[in-house]
Amino acid sequence: MLRHYITVTLRNLLKHKLISAINLFGLTMGLTCCLLILAYILHETSYDRSPPTASRIYRVTRDFYDPNGATTLQLSAVAPVIGPLLKSDFPQIEKMAIILSGGSIVARYEDKILTQDSLAFADGNFLDLFGVRVLSGDARTALQEPRTIMLEQRTARKYFGTADPLNKELKLDGNLLCKVTGVYQGLPENSHLHPAMLISYTTLNDPSLYGEEAMRTSWSSNSFHTYLQLPATYDAAQLEAQFPAFLDRHMPQPKRAADFVPPSKMTSLQLQRLTDVHLTSHRADELEANGDITRVYIFSIIALFVLLIACINYMNLSTARAALRAKEVGVRKVIGARRSEIILQFLGESVLITALATALAVGCALLALPWLSRLAGTTLSPELLLRGPVLAGLLVLPLVVGVLSGLYPALYMSSFQPQHILKGFLKNSGGLTFRRALVVVQFVVSIGLLVGTAIVLLQVRYLQQTPLGYNREQLLTMTYPPTLTPQYEAFRQALQQQASVLNAGRSSRIPTGRLLDASDAAAVVGDSLRPTAASIKFVSIDDQFLPTYGIRLAAGRNFSPAFPTDTTGFILNASAVRMVGWDSPAAAVGQAFRYGGVMGRVVGVVEDFHFESLHQPIVPLVMFLSTVTSRSSYNLLTVKIAGANVPAALAHLESTWKQFLPEQPFAYTFLDESYNRLYEAEQRQSTLFALFAGIAIFIACLGLFGLSAFAITQRVKEIGIRKVLGASTSTIVVLLSSDFLRLVGVAALLALPLSWYLMHRWLQNFAYRIEMPWWVFPLAGLAAVLIALVTIVSQTVSVARANPVRSLRTE
Amino acid sequence: MIKITNLEKTYRTEEVETVVLHALNLEVREGEFVAVMGPSGCGKSTLLNILGLLDDPNSGSFVFDNTETVGFNERRRAELRKHAIGFVFQSFNLIDELTVYENVELPLIYTGVSAAERKTRVEEVLDKMRIMHRRHHYPQQLSGGQQQRVAVARAVVNRPRLILADEPTGNLDSSNGNEVMDLLSELNEQGTTIVMVTHSEHDARYSHRIVRMLDGQTVTETILT
Repeated sequence: MLRHYITVTLRNLLKHKLISAINLFGLTMGLTCCLLILAYILHETSYDRSPPTASRIYRVTRDFYDPNGATTLQLSAVAPVIGPLLKSDFPQIEKMAIILSGGSIVARYEDKILTQDSLAFADGNFLDLFGVRVLSGDARTALQEPRTIMLEQRTARKYFGTADPLNKELKLDGNLLCKVTGVYQGLPENSHLHPAMLISYTTLNDPSLYGEEAMRTSWSSNSFHTYLQLPATYDAAQLEAQFPAFLDRHMPQPKRAADFVPPSKMTSLQLQRLTDVHLTSHRADELEANGDITRVYIFSIIALFVLLIACINYMNLSTARAALRAKEVGVRKVIGARRSEIILQFLGESVLITALATALAVGCALLALPWLSRLAGTTLSPELLLRGPVLAGLLVLPLVVGVLSGLYPALYMSSFQPQHILKGFLKNSGGLTFRRALVVVQFVVSIGLLVGTAIVLLQVRYLQQTPLGYNREQLLTMTYPPTLTPQYEAFRQALQQQASVLNAGRSSRIPTGRLLDASDAAAVVGDSLRPTAASIKFVSIDDQFLPTYGIRLAAGRNFSPAFPTDTTGFILNASAVRMVGWDSPAAAVGQAFRYGGVMGRVVGVVEDFHFESLHQPIVPLVMFLSTVTSRSSYNLLTVKIAGANVPAALAHLESTWKQFLPEQPFAYTFLDESYNRLYEAEQRQSTLFALFAGIAIFIACLGLFGLSAFAITQRVKEIGIRKVLGASTSTIVVLLSSDFLRLVGVAALLALPLSWYLMHRWLQNFAYRIEMPWWVFPLAGLAAVLIALVTIVSQTVSVARANPVRSLRTE
Repeated sequence: MIKITNLEKTYRTEEVETVVLHALNLEVREGEFVAVMGPSGCGKSTLLNILGLLDDPNSGSFVFDNTETVGFNERRRAELRKHAIGFVFQSFNLIDELTVYENVELPLIYTGVSAAERKTRVEEVLDKMRIMHRRHHYPQQLSGGQQQRVAVARAVVNRPRLILADEPTGNLDSSNGNEVMDLLSELNEQGTTIVMVTHSEHDARYSHRIVRMLDGQTVTETILT
């Protein structure tokens, strides 16, 4: 019986090649999309599973609140005192590990000088908690002594080649000499952190770094990523509930009782599951860029949509074609087949076709995976799809999808009455309404994706073109080594000797980065000095920073060496002026202002500019010079070059750099590259969106193509009669096309409000966004109608032109 | 074998009610060959569909082998059909996607006959119908006469006790038609009961008894032998 069914299925497939091809191709495409997105989802949800006790590890995070209780900052790391205090206060904490990211530094071994990324400070607890495999050296003692360092395998090879790195010495940032005490295997790609070098945590006690005192007492250096391991059955919420009391117990209190606010009202600690970090954590100072659970949802939904469209094609084409198989159904029933046997046969057929499509889809997905990896900016390995559970799922998939798409056609076809069929009366109007509804569904989805694509693309373009309040062209940024400070003026003059270098400015942070530093601010409004209502972020800048970036002053002046009092001067942005409550930028100039304990005056006000990405609103900002009192150093150097001869400018920059900083590798980034990286996620999303929308529309049109081809063959006689009676080619084209076009039109009407709502919500993610472009909606509807029109008309024209005598004779 | 009493069949559409069979009585004995004749629309085909359990009467009784079949559910109808009844149609109704061999084999698959026995029985019947040499061909590749011989082979492969034939020669030329009629006669001589609907007086003469119908009732009976 089974063999018989398979034979019949295959012969039917071969007999109706066009429709079989459409079905098989559509299902294969749909399933390929699903598999690719499955690989993406499996990858995204596989993060941080490698530590042996991963499910019991939590990260401690910290929030800050303003006096009104509004959250001002959410950090992924905490102060150095918090981890050890938690461990000693709460015996239920089994293990605790801290890692401090050291960013990038310059490392030197003999004559090899390299810029090294992903440096971190940690101790043996980190190796233990994260299950780091130590390849050489003693895991227990390697990170005990100050100035010892462990290298990740690839890092070790970079500096030492094949030689044994143990006990050799690396010089970091020109002064810190560290002895290599071990080599470890890097954490898997799907981890939220990838330290390339681990310096012993005790090294931080060095006064040139944090100093022993600060490490023991600081509540303000919130850069220490702290992880806890809790008992297997322990509820983390129980521990979290005790954190406010913990903070009030340990945090230093203000000296004046009048100012007393419980510390737990200003800040709080939370526990975050290690396995949730990658997909759900979007805090400031994350160790690496994390994924996004909403993106995972969006793509899952799109994959299901594409599959749905393919399944609908199958349903539509099978039921439309039912007439061709009616005789077979009749004969089988006459011979004694029960309805259930017929249903089973047709279901088997769709399962078989789906199985075939699944096999093809696995091949396609494996081929497309490297390409998708590039597009999505992740590494998706084929192993993701070749695991046991996935393979088992692939065996069940044809069953599910096959039954889903085959059930309706099977029920419909098995309901034929043999006594009617075999006499040649078959009304094929049954199922017509259903088929129409399905076509509408397909086009609702397609048009929705079309609208989505257009709006995502427009928003991304807006982000790239929106005026930022500064000029991001021809700006080079590089790490500013503090050792340069004594000779900085000479360095800058040497740079500007050549016309290709226009300007250079230093700052603690640069635009495209985040604004995370804040201090207490107070301003004179009326006649009293009052703390500001909300916090003001700060950046330290030198007197060349504003001209280098082309940031415009709204009032007052820039810092200048001509004014010695500028060491206590402040430049605010317009938002800060508004927040403080001064009437205008001009009114703010000359006012007394206190920031971070330094009392001074406002010397200038700049127009608002987008320091952070356009996901963030412009916040109040204060800028001041880096001085002893301001306790903020310059970390970055920005050089503005002339656009005419970039290579010459770079060469000059490099030679000057080498002359002043022979120990320091010359490495730079173009600011507009950093800028584009801010919107990489949206860029990728728009590319993938466009891709999937294209596929969805393509499959839907294939279905429409098959359906209209079929409808036309059924109406050949009608067309012949109409032509004999005098109908013109064009009226026949209209007759045949209008039926389907009406459906696409209905789909457009349904899709537009739906997509308006969804895209409106998506745009809310951006502090700066396009107005909902109303014209996209009619355009998307029109595009869908046009594509459908071309699909249908391409077939109707030849039929409408054909000589009616022929079609009538063949009847 | 068959006893029909007071059979009524009415088709209803929204506006009209058409009486197709009206107080019809008919008896067919085991081993008989009955031809049913009458003008178009007299109810011949409906009668045949009811005999073949493809259609239900509105009232009356249809006893097959001493069992009342009116009110049988789908499963019991299918059972009876596949074991006891074979059909031959005017338009052959072979499945285009199956070869001659596979078309004939189909009823045996539904009755669950083992593969080995299927082979023996299909070959035996193909041989008997003189179509063995064409067993790997598809229906479209055969002449009308050959197709109808395949259809007869398929009807008899399960060794049914009753064959229902609906104008079996209607689409054939006279020589092919005669050949099919000879086959039916031969089957009848071997004991198979046959009820045949026909327009052809020539074909009707192959039977033992001609029942003439008009407006849903039998009007005359002619016994030939």
